[in-house]
Formats: sequence, structure tokens, C-alpha cells
Amino acid sequence: MRTLKFVLIGVVLFFIVFPLFMMTKYSISDRESIVTGGEYPEPFFPFQPTMEMFGLLWSRGDFLKAGLTSLWVGLLAVAFSLLLGAPTAYALARFRIPGIAILLFFLLSVRLFPDISAVIPVAELLLSRPFSLLPPVILVGLAHTLLALPYTVYIAKGVFESIPRDLEEQAFVLGAPKSSTFLKILTPLALPGLGAAAIYTFFLSWNEFIFAYFLTFQGTETTLPVYLLRILSWSPQKNFISAISVLICVPVIIFTFLVQRHMREGLTAGAVK
Amino acid sequence: MPGSIRISSLLLRLKSNLFTIGFFIPAFLYLFSFFVIILIFLLKFSFSGNLPLLSLFSSAEFKQALWRSLCFMGVGTPLQLVVGLLLALLIQRSFRGVGAVRSLFMIPIAIPALVTAIIIDLLFSYPFGPVNDLLLGRHGFFPQLVSVPVNWSGSEFLSLGLAILGKTWRDMPISMLILLAGLHSIEREQYEAAKTMGAGAWQEFKYLTLPLLTPAILTILILRSIENWKEFVFPFVLAPSYPLLGVLIERLYHVEQNPALAASVALGLVILIALTTLLFTAITKVVRRYLVRV
Repeated sequence: MRTLKFVLIGVVLFFIVFPLFMMTKYSISDRESIVTGGEYPEPFFPFQPTMEMFGLLWSRGDFLKAGLTSLWVGLLAVAFSLLLGAPTAYALARFRIPGIAILLFFLLSVRLFPDISAVIPVAELLLSRPFSLLPPVILVGLAHTLLALPYTVYIAKGVFESIPRDLEEQAFVLGAPKSSTFLKILTPLALPGLGAAAIYTFFLSWNEFIFAYFLTFQGTETTLPVYLLRILSWSPQKNFISAISVLICVPVIIFTFLVQRHMREGLTAGAVK
Repeated sequence: MPGSIRISSLLLRLKSNLFTIGFFIPAFLYLFSFFVIILIFLLKFSFSGNLPLLSLFSSAEFKQALWRSLCFMGVGTPLQLVVGLLLALLIQRSFRGVGAVRSLFMIPIAIPALVTAIIIDLLFSYPFGPVNDLLLGRHGFFPQLVSVPVNWSGSEFLSLGLAILGKTWRDMPISMLILLAGLHSIEREQYEAAKTMGAGAWQEFKYLTLPLLTPAILTILILRSIENWKEFVFPFVLAPSYPLLGVLIERLYHVEQNPALAASVALGLVILIALTTLLFTAITKVVRRYLVRV
């Protein structure tokens, strides 16, 4: 029984790692390893590993531009959701609010729509005046805020609940107004936890495809996943498309290991929808 | 006058709570206004002019997409449940290195769905790709199973199968975590009692784990069926010639430039999800009652 379990774990790990291994393999493949012409099977390790594709990407302006766009969109989404979400989370954690259950429902309500359904009205709205005058980075950032905000509020609520009330009470006793208590006493204490929410939001935005695709359908400025799809439409070589995929994945995989615990909370928080 | 007193006391209460309200309102307003906007847009489009929502019922394209989505949901949901259950059972008891294994099990959810879909597309490429190499017996260690390369994206059955595979691969960790939480809520004493009575591993699973896990399983069925109904990225990349509802929405909006019809399908999808959720909730209630009686 024990052996069976470890064998099964091995099999599952194989199925998880194999596609990622193949992606990495393709990204460092030379021409002979991918264009076989059917004369020999594709090798499981390139004949002559090469970093050529990464060099090519580095020298291509459009890839770097898409990377920067993704970065800016992510940072905007983080900034918007923290600015909007942290105060709300604080209010939910600290004050008695009548009808709180209904309010919480409305906070999550927007996530009741499937992304692919919600994106039509959002695109119709944001791609018409006056919003269409804004740069696409801000439009996509606003859309990603919409997706991330409920989770930000949920995570930040937990963070504020974990900070002892006594601290604020002492501040009140000493005559500090509520707003400066929030800014000067609570915010510094909450920063590490809010950081987790920020990372969660950033990678939600980094990975997001549907809203970015619809909002930047026309125009050149776009995020990395949409860039990847556009490249795909020219039927590129396997190594080129894989090199882009690897570069998109690397930051996410690193950070997943770093913030796993909080991500788990974020995922189960999604259970409410 | 009592009226003015009531109003002034209301204003007073409002004023003293201004801080709370000011704190609470921004995120609330942002999310709620988008909720209202999305709802109004969908309804407005679906019931505009010649009632596109009703014309869907006579559209062959829509019926086909609906059928495909239904198959995607009907096959994907139980598959994802079984895979999630397997993963959760494997790391339920702690052993040396369980933390590392769990971290590795979490990887798929970190990979963007689009990248996963593209990797699968590369692995199953036609005519020459790793999977076709394998099936053709071109590697010494694997027996030959087919004589001509399989054209995965050319077949409705196979390409939708690949889309389900991709979805299952990427979302494994979500089902796993929910089931793991369910497994951990079962008390250890119950297992010890079962062991004392001489229950084997299979009996333990069948008579103890499975019934006590029913609430978690039902949660997964509801969440996964919603998730599968609304799936877009995997079929969009892997089965573009065989659109299901999500892909149909995109096509109507971008290719046919018909936002009204796209919004009608989008609203139809929302309705379908609501109906499925209601159905599963009803089933949950029945099952819970049955469980309590036992």
C-alpha cells in the first residue's frame, strides 16, 4: 500500500512536470531537434542546446514592449485594488455594519458572471467614449482590478482581523483620529499581509487572458499572454513560442512557491462564488 | 415634529458613521456599479430589436455549441473530481517530504491557462510531435499503436478531449485543496476505531472517508460544473473549429461583429450556470438528508 502510494505520487509528478519539461526543452532546441521531417523522432533533449531564441526575443522590441505592458497593468491593478480594497477590508473587520451579509454578497456579486460573459459589456463600455480615450494599460488595469478586488478585500480583511484591537484603542485614548490611526498604526502592521494580496493580484493580472484580449483586440499595445496568442497565429517554430512561454512562466512559478500559503487562502476564498 | 426629528437623528447617525461609510464605499461602489452595468448591458442587448435571445433557440450554431459545452461539463466535472480526490488522498497523511510534494502539486495552477493550452498544442502537434512519435512507435521503448499520425485538432472528439485534458491538468490543485480540507476535517479517532474493528484500506475508504467527504465532493461538483460551463481559453486554443459556448461568444463578437447576439449567448450562459447551480444545490439537500438518516 505504501509503495503503491509512492508510485502513484511519482506518476502524478511525472504528469505535472513532463509538459513543463517539454516546454523548456523546446525553448532551448536547435532546428534539427524540432524540424524532423518525420525521418527520426523528436529527441527528449535537444541535439545542440541553444539560447538563440532567448537572444532573439531580447532583441525584439515587441516582446519587451509586451513585457513592460504586462508589468504596468499588473502594478496598476495592485495599486487600484489595494487603494480601494484595504479601507473596505478594514471597515469590514472593525466596524459593525448593518446588513453586512447583503453587502458582502454585493462585493462578490460581479464574480457571479463568467469572465467570457462579463467581458462583452465591459469591453463595450470601456472601448467607447469617454473611456476609450484612456491608454489601454489603464483600461486593462481597471478590468483586472474588477477581478482581483473581491479577493483583495477578503485577504486584507483577514489581515486586519489578526491585528489586535488594543493598538487602535490606545491610539484613540491618546487622541489620534481614526484616519491617522489607520494610516500610521495599522497600515505598517498590515503591510506584510497586504503584500501577499498584492502579489496575488499581480499574478492574477500577469496570467489573465480574456479581458486583456478583448480590451486590446485592436491596437498594438498588449500584455504578454495576448502577445503570445498573436505570435501563435503566424504558426511560428516550436522553439520560439516555447521561449516566450518559459519567460511568462518563470516569475509566476518562483512566486507561487514564495506565497503558496496565502494563495491557498485566496483559492478557497473563491469557493464563495 | 416627529418626522423631522427622525430625519435629523438619521442624519446624525449618518454623520457619526461617515468614516465607516467612507471607508467601506469605494470598493463596494466599484464592484457593484460594474455588476449593474454588466447586468443591464446583457439584458439590453438580449432584448433589443428583434429579440436576439429568443432567436438563439432556432440557431443551429448555438445548439451545437450548447451540446459541446454540455459534453465538456459532463465529462470534465467528474474527471476533475476523481483526479482531485486522487491527489488529495495521496498527500492526506504526512510523510517525509509531503510539503515538497504538495508544493509541486500546486504548480499547474501557477501556469497561465493560455501557456498550458499552447504546451498541449505542441505536445499533440500533427503530423510530427512528441505524442504522435510515441503512438507511431518511433521511440524504441513504446509499442506502435497507430499506423498514421493522429490529427488531433481535425477531430471534434479528440480536440475537445484535449481541451478537457488541459482544463483538468491546470485546475487539479483547486479540487485537491478543497478535498484535502474535507479530509483533514475527518477526525483521526474515527479511522483508529475503524482500524480496531479490522477494516482494511478499501473498507475504510468506502465506509468512512467517502461518506464523510460527501459535503466537500458536492462543493466540488458545484464549483467545477460552473467552471466548466464558462471555460474559454482551452477550447479556444485547442478546438477552435468546434466552438462551445464561450468560444461562440468570442466569435460572434470579434468575427461576426454582432455584440447583441454575443451578449445573448453570454446571458444564456449565465442562465445555464444559475440553473445548474440550483440543480446541484437541490441534489445536495437531498443527499444531506439521506446522509443524516443513515
